[in-house]
Amino acid sequence: MIAPYALKLAVQSLLREKWINLLSVMTIAAGLLIISISFFALYNIDVATKKLPEKFSLTAYLDKNLQRDQLDSVVDAFRKKKTVLSVRYISKDEAMKELKSSLKNSDYILEGLEENPLPDSLEIKLKSNEVGAETVQQFAREAMKIKGVAEVNYGEKFLSTLETIKKGVKAVGMFFAVILSTGIVFVCYSTVKILFYRRSEEIETFKLLGATKGFIRTPFLIEGAVIGACGGLLSLLGCFFLYYTFLLRLSMTMPVFKAILFPSNLFLPLPVLGMLLGLAGAVIALGRLRY
Amino acid sequence: MIHFQNVTKNYENQTALRDISFSVDKGEMIFLTGPSGSGKSTLLKLIYLAEKADNGEITIADWELSRLKESSIPSVRRNIGIIFQDFRLLDNRTVFENIALALRIRGIGEKETKIRVYDALKTVNLRHKSDAYPKALSGGEQQRVVIARAIVSDPTILLADEPTGNLDPDTAQGVAKIFKDVHARGTTIIIATHNREMYRNTGKRVLQLDSGNLIGEGLG
Repeated sequence: MIAPYALKLAVQSLLREKWINLLSVMTIAAGLLIISISFFALYNIDVATKKLPEKFSLTAYLDKNLQRDQLDSVVDAFRKKKTVLSVRYISKDEAMKELKSSLKNSDYILEGLEENPLPDSLEIKLKSNEVGAETVQQFAREAMKIKGVAEVNYGEKFLSTLETIKKGVKAVGMFFAVILSTGIVFVCYSTVKILFYRRSEEIETFKLLGATKGFIRTPFLIEGAVIGACGGLLSLLGCFFLYYTFLLRLSMTMPVFKAILFPSNLFLPLPVLGMLLGLAGAVIALGRLRY
Repeated sequence: MIHFQNVTKNYENQTALRDISFSVDKGEMIFLTGPSGSGKSTLLKLIYLAEKADNGEITIADWELSRLKESSIPSVRRNIGIIFQDFRLLDNRTVFENIALALRIRGIGEKETKIRVYDALKTVNLRHKSDAYPKALSGGEQQRVVIARAIVSDPTILLADEPTGNLDPDTAQGVAKIFKDVHARGTTIIIATHNREMYRNTGKRVLQLDSGNLIGEGLG
């Protein structure tokens, strides 16, 4: 019986104090919108960095004078590894051809060479989820132990840059999420506290008539949750508005924007997030009731 | 039902009640009388736990108030109907809602609440004012709304702090009759008043307070 009445009290208060509540809803919406925009940017950076490992490969240089059957066993040894996606044999002649084509007009620097100094090699691609600084280093160490492999080369700098970008993205995301979530909790805290003080006389009467803490608290918790949820809903609408009025139109005239992804399903829980933050603010604001 | 044993209450440097001892039996109706500032309101506040005694022991039914956990306070208060001297009506709620609050706090359903509130309004002769807001009522009418809120939940104990303070003699007589009816249902009643007409010829016990001391006891 308490719940319907608490809901009625909450609705009455939300309507009675509509201006202060509207202001809180808009503040929360602005905060959640900034979080969403940051998350949207970070999501796209993350997707882009996830595509980079597809282009990553290791080169295993083979011993000179390696026989055909020995070569096959080296290739087999790599292919058997679970982390390997593909192995491509590059003969020294092929390597020279690739070098020449990459030098283009500067290939005259190779003219003085009497014989091809390049070794035969294997280009090894790893599965995307295996491309990390530590795992690749470990892979290179193990590859060196394979008989017939003279040297293993991989883009250490590329990998460490990738790691730094990923860590940076996470740190920035966490920073925005924590700071702004705290801000939202504080907004809800202040709103509920103000509403609580405004109704302190009424609450005192409730207490004297025998109301339990739950009876007194529930309407305020509902109010906090509703304010937070409305803020979340407004920020969700803001996200869709920004995407459909700006990014989508821009991508029609500037194809580079087509690469930007809009994870709409990830934004849908925004009202729930707002509600939880609102509830948290209300819980803190009410604190410990005393009789 | 209610038992005070050597109860003392101080406010900063002032003693509001000094070494008070008395008992009220179940179903008894008593009057507290004395001049303003004699400690009548404080004594009632100790019973409904708006104040805590500094010394002594207060027992209400099976509750020893000095040992009562904070979480049990609502349970004690739900057994008590209070007529506050300052009314404590909620101005933004109608008369009906003010009275219904006492029942909603007790978790009583909507249908029963309606029946009981209209019964209480009929008892205090304010059935026609159920949709009015307290500020639109006279002092006497507000007083009767407070009485209706106090009796609507059929409390075991009814405490009244100057219940006829704002009433003309005729309405005061009507209020006295309400108390008589409520008492006839077996409710324990304590009425704090300095209106002699309230207790004269009632045959009920009258405790006399002065400057926080219980100075006498007699029959009205």
